[in-house]
Amino acid sequence: MIDLWGVAIVSLVLTMIVGIYGVTARKDLVKKLISLTILGDSANAFVVALGYRINGKPPILPSGESVATFAKTAVDPLPQALVITAVVIGMAINVLLAFAIIQLRRVEA
Amino acid sequence: MNPIPLAVLTPITFAFTLPLIGKLSKSVAKAYAVLGTFLTMLFTFEVFKSSEGGPLTYTFGGWRAPIGIVYEVDTMSAFLGLVTSTLLFLIAIYSLEYIKSGEVWYFTLYLGLEAGLIGVLYTGDLFNLFVMLEVTSVAAYALVMFNRDPQSLRAGLKYAFIGAIGTTLYFIAMGLLYRTYGTLNMAQLAEIVHSSDVVNASLAILLLATWAFLIKAAIFPNHFWLPDAHPAAPSPISAVLSGLVVNVGIYSIARLYFTLYSGLPEVKSLGILLIILGAISAFLGAIMMNVHSDIKRIIAYSTIMHMGYLSMALGIGSSLALASAVFHTFNHAVAKSLLFLSAGIMIQIGGSRDLRDLAGVGRANPLAMFSFAVAALSLAGIPPLNVFSSKVMLFTAFLDWNPALAGVLVVTSIMSLVAYVKMMRVLWLGCGKKESVGMPVMTGVVVAISIAVIVLGLVGPWIFKGIALPAVAQGWESYVAGGLGG
Repeated sequence: MIDLWGVAIVSLVLTMIVGIYGVTARKDLVKKLISLTILGDSANAFVVALGYRINGKPPILPSGESVATFAKTAVDPLPQALVITAVVIGMAINVLLAFAIIQLRRVEA
Repeated sequence: MNPIPLAVLTPITFAFTLPLIGKLSKSVAKAYAVLGTFLTMLFTFEVFKSSEGGPLTYTFGGWRAPIGIVYEVDTMSAFLGLVTSTLLFLIAIYSLEYIKSGEVWYFTLYLGLEAGLIGVLYTGDLFNLFVMLEVTSVAAYALVMFNRDPQSLRAGLKYAFIGAIGTTLYFIAMGLLYRTYGTLNMAQLAEIVHSSDVVNASLAILLLATWAFLIKAAIFPNHFWLPDAHPAAPSPISAVLSGLVVNVGIYSIARLYFTLYSGLPEVKSLGILLIILGAISAFLGAIMMNVHSDIKRIIAYSTIMHMGYLSMALGIGSSLALASAVFHTFNHAVAKSLLFLSAGIMIQIGGSRDLRDLAGVGRANPLAMFSFAVAALSLAGIPPLNVFSSKVMLFTAFLDWNPALAGVLVVTSIMSLVAYVKMMRVLWLGCGKKESVGMPVMTGVVVAISIAVIVLGLVGPWIFKGIALPAVAQGWESYVAGGLGG
């Protein structure tokens, strides 16, 4: 059987490389911005995948279970928390870039 | 009372409340912004004083060391934080007169930039470093685009695209690091790295993070955004970007290599890479300084040159090299800010950034010309000005490693001196008559900083012995003890 987990990780890394290629090689600013979001999103998915555990439990502590045994079986929630922050920051940067591109069109037209 | 939260939260609070005050009155908002930078300066001074005995820590929200976000300030971060906030205070006063429209947004972004810079220097948590890096970067991108003309928008976009790639790479590195070591707390990470042999993913982590920080520090081959971005910004912002924001990359590399991973074989082999790239940057900067005729672009290339020196010093990694890197970061920040600020006055009088249009401008404002000369000669390494003393230290450190590197330092310094003398000759002796424009506040600030440059040149050896050497001597053990002990 093909190792689907490995395929997913490799394809995420390849997508990140595509994103970096797009930002550096494309001339069009909008295409650069799209490539940057591809890079950012695949990086986020990659970091979530790093904390994932196959067949792991959702990281919400059920009542009556000890934390130590729960931590051995649950998915690690910290990378998800990190990614939430990174998503918010990424949005701020994308908005700034989109504004700058629109402004550039306006002043050059 | 612990001054760390005050130093970090003051600029953020002032930045967020500034637009509201700007609705009421613009002049009140300007005074309020300068007050914010002044208070931050006082608090960073408090931090500097309190951190003398050992690293000072603060835990946000009461969550203790490895779990919550911790700010940990040792002498190196406290010293650089004090330098940063002091220069930002002086540049804010300069900006009062320089910025004629859009002051409220200018100062909001300016305080945001200050919050990010102080956060990067003080943080003891790798994820918080990422957040603060982004805060610094977003404010810097927006300030580069502040004029909103096609040239500055293009330069800002170039800076933002490459900068965003850099921070994303750092984010990936941080994810891998968490996966490998199970912590993001710097002190705990340093302890784990030094007590076990879990190094299988360290090279990938270090490579990604180093790449990200080399983009921030504008080291070859990631330097190409800087000569566009720094000149396109308003002159006070050029001073902040060239003097302070590029230091973030150097500081983070130093923290990563010499607190978290000190003494590992991966760090030694990446050090060779840093030395080679640094030497190329130094030469590239020195050559390009003699090619261009845009005064701010020449100064921007000089920044690439000096960042090259710092990268070489970090690559060598001996305690003398590190101490001189800290000392040179400080001296370069003061002198480079002064050079950009006095060049800003020249550009205001001459109405152009091209050296050919600025002939004889220096005669219209001799005090600014004096400051320009002090800064330029200092950066070229003329005694007794301040950069001379740190260049001597760098020279000694380079000589211990390989005489060829010391040769690079001397040759590039001479090449930069040629470019500076050419600029000063055109500005002072060039034939051209310009009307003097009254700029008392801006002139006052540059004269004050140029006096500081001369004084710092005289007391340099004592600063080196009293601050830079002890800062490096603290080492990772005391960082770990300070971070996890409390």
